Amino acid sequence: MGSTQPDLAVAGLGVVAGPQADRSQRMMAAEAARLAIADAGLNISDIDGAVDLRRTGGGGDRGSYSDAFTRVLGLPANFYFVIGRGGALAGLGIAAAASFLQRGLAKHVVLVGAVDDWSKSQETKKHGHRGMAHAEKEGYWGKALGDLRAASHHSWMAARHMAVYGTTSEQLGAISVQQRAWACLNPEAKMYGRPITIEDHQNSPWVVEPYHLFDISQVSDGAIAFVLTTRERARDLAKPAVDILGQGFGEVAADLWWEKKNFQQMAVHNAKKQALAESGLGLQDIDVAELYDCFTAEVLFQLEDYGWCEKGDGGAFVEAGNIGPGGSIPTNTGGGLLSCYHLGDLTGFAEAVRQVRGEAGERQVANCEVALSTGHGGELVSPGMCSIHTTTLLGKAA
Amino acid sequence: MTTTETTEAPPAWNKPPPNIDKDSREFWDGLARHELLLWTCHTCGAQYWPKAYCIKHENEPWAANLSWQPSSGRGKLFAYNVHHWAFHPGFKDEVPYYYALVELDEGPLISATMVGRPPAAGDVGKAVRIAYEDHPEGFTIPHFEFVGD
Repeated sequence: MGSTQPDLAVAGLGVVAGPQADRSQRMMAAEAARLAIADAGLNISDIDGAVDLRRTGGGGDRGSYSDAFTRVLGLPANFYFVIGRGGALAGLGIAAAASFLQRGLAKHVVLVGAVDDWSKSQETKKHGHRGMAHAEKEGYWGKALGDLRAASHHSWMAARHMAVYGTTSEQLGAISVQQRAWACLNPEAKMYGRPITIEDHQNSPWVVEPYHLFDISQVSDGAIAFVLTTRERARDLAKPAVDILGQGFGEVAADLWWEKKNFQQMAVHNAKKQALAESGLGLQDIDVAELYDCFTAEVLFQLEDYGWCEKGDGGAFVEAGNIGPGGSIPTNTGGGLLSCYHLGDLTGFAEAVRQVRGEAGERQVANCEVALSTGHGGELVSPGMCSIHTTTLLGKAA
Repeated sequence: MTTTETTEAPPAWNKPPPNIDKDSREFWDGLARHELLLWTCHTCGAQYWPKAYCIKHENEPWAANLSWQPSSGRGKLFAYNVHHWAFHPGFKDEVPYYYALVELDEGPLISATMVGRPPAAGDVGKAVRIAYEDHPEGFTIPHFEFVGD
């Protein structure tokens, strides 16, 4: 174990999955937090800090609620704040909570993200809008022109990769099909019991071409919470501790968001470098990859950007079955945002914790020692893309 | 007036309103004059869209070393997509519409929908130019069209 690894571990996990038509975001957050605290074998009174992981500034902006889950749950927290950027939630939350834990300002911090996108979309559908409900954003260029949803601009990345490297829709479909195979091993997944073929992917309706419906992530309700503490404390608790081995961060804007190459890559370079250096690990040590998958091309880009294949070869790599069950790099093993549910990077983060704990049931990857979880998102910068990329490596406590 | 004469006025705007703010007001005023403006550095000539401090050197306070200047309005198709779903009811009669990312000859990328011949596979890299659609509400919506088709 490298000495530069952070003194942090995940001690408890709580998941609320599936449509929650009659439940508010704050109740979902409170319930997930209650589950995570119980999972760790802790009491409410042990929690002295709380972090609200909230998607902000991205395609799925949502208003805040005035009555926080901490009050609802009666958490005796000494601090409570909101953090998040697009779907990059867990990665940023861990980095922020670490400061409180390592300075002795807190012993156990609970971090929670809750969404009610599915419930809200059922409401807006009645008024003729399709897809997720959005809050208005200052400086959003394309809305009046027809750039209305994440698929409106994210699909350019797929289109550009296709134009430059000859990537095909069938190859993107291979990502969708393999993640669905994982989802069919996960009873919690929205698409459990509904396997698909490449033909199904090709026959699914165009939404924003080159994206078929099956290239696009779920619209979900739900909440995920986890308890973060120091490694030593985590070892005395109810569940096997999952250590945070390393983290890294990258911004497209640091490389100029108007750089044309940002339409065929994500801001992985620095994030990967930092996380591998902090953890003392290499790419070959990663047993499962939970890659942020708002759309299929984001998975393709990350497989290339992290180095599982060369830039431009992602299409052939996924077509060969490398990311599904039995593949060389098991990817989005719970079904991901595409086939499980969309709670930002918390979907993959929770799955990474379960894989490292050995709690992943039928989909458990044998001897999973190290899991990668990534986050992605940000404000929509005219005319381009979500900016942030976060890398978090988790591993079995020694 | 006969019905054929009234077709020139576009229908009342039933889409999300343009997001015209303190940083983009002058740019939208340019579109209304049928000029595509780029945010241009007087020190080194670098051009940006949207508004930004020049990244090539130190700036004057408030980026006063830059201002909006007319561009060629020409560029190349960088990527495009086809919206088959109208996410907003105002686009219901327009789907499928073609939404393009254009690399302007001056360098910056900008996006707008295509008019005229729709793009097809193999059109990435082809020359396009801006087209203007004036609205009685007081704003002008930009589009792009292929040059020389």
